[in-house]
Amino acid sequence: MNEISILMYMLSRKKSINQIGATKKEILKSLNVKNKNKSVYFQDLLTGLSKYLEPLGLQINFNSLNSHWFINYDSELAELISANPFEGRPSLSATLLCVLTSCLKNSGRTSIQEIRTLRNKKDVKDDIKILEKEGFLDLDKKTTDIRLTPLIGYKLDLQKLFVRLALKLKE
Amino acid sequence: MEELDLSEKINKRIALIKNEVLSGKINLLELQLNPIFSEIKHSISIYNIENYSQSYRNAVELLNDKFEELKNLLSSLDIEKKFEDFLKTHPNEDQISDLFRGCWRETFLFEPFSLKFLEYASDRYIKERTTNFPIEHLIREETNDQFLLEVPRYKYTEKISAFYDKIKKKLPCFFEDVFDNELDQIEIYEQFVYLLHLLQLGKIKYQKDTNTLYT
Repeated sequence: MNEISILMYMLSRKKSINQIGATKKEILKSLNVKNKNKSVYFQDLLTGLSKYLEPLGLQINFNSLNSHWFINYDSELAELISANPFEGRPSLSATLLCVLTSCLKNSGRTSIQEIRTLRNKKDVKDDIKILEKEGFLDLDKKTTDIRLTPLIGYKLDLQKLFVRLALKLKE
Repeated sequence: MEELDLSEKINKRIALIKNEVLSGKINLLELQLNPIFSEIKHSISIYNIENYSQSYRNAVELLNDKFEELKNLLSSLDIEKKFEDFLKTHPNEDQISDLFRGCWRETFLFEPFSLKFLEYASDRYIKERTTNFPIEHLIREETNDQFLLEVPRYKYTEKISAFYDKIKKKLPCFFEDVFDNELDQIEIYEQFVYLLHLLQLGKIKYQKDTNTLYT
């Protein structure tokens, strides 16, 4: 067993429904790296592994929502294998966008009422339930508060989404 | 001027910049690319133009990466308002779905890579190697002919077992101690073969650094 096999294991493991991969701290601990230049060593390790993964159509990515490093298929492959979890269910995409918008506005929290208003739809409960079941959000049954989980940071290239949104608004 | 060819040097410099950007040591947005393009412009000539095409390509790739960074930075500014503005245009569900197009990612999960699996595989591999040594016994044919090598009176397993019974009281002991009382070289050789088999079967273990046999 070497650093690469340990790193592959850590980056491709599913901790829970919305936690994949590992943090920098976890990786350094597993590899028992304690020296002064551990950040440089860490970056070199990831760069080295990504060179091996690139020909396989894989890339290393960072989820800024929970500071986890993970592996995903490159965009061409993702397109080919249809990575869209809401294929044929546009209603879920629309509700998720409203949750995202509202959470960005309200420091990470929103409510069913708020989503209802943004969606301009009487009943969004079914969508919310499905999104919760699929791990995209946490719903507080008592307060009906909604929080996004880190899953959106794995499933969506947020940077790309921001660019697409900016371009869309300019049209 | 005719012999001046900086293409190799420029390529190396660009490769170094790319590595430093990847390792997070420098930010492409803060890096001036003018010196690279100026160097290309001032050292290119009809004598070295062939070598410079790759340098120019690398420099343009770097410039493109810088534009991408800038584009990302500009798009993430005031993002909440942009989302709100978009929703104010009352897009339908299909239009929202289209906004996500090309942004979905598929994570790579590979459970067999788990540490548990690697340990299991490693353990199993070792076991398979050490336990696959079947001992086949010879069957004496009924014949009156005389042979130089005769089938021994006892089966090989019985001989190993007898040897094991003989030495097990001594264990743990140094390797040489097993053959302590034996003077006949043929006997020592035979017993050494038994010992090797016992080690392979895992009935006896050997610690190299202390030269010790133990069970």
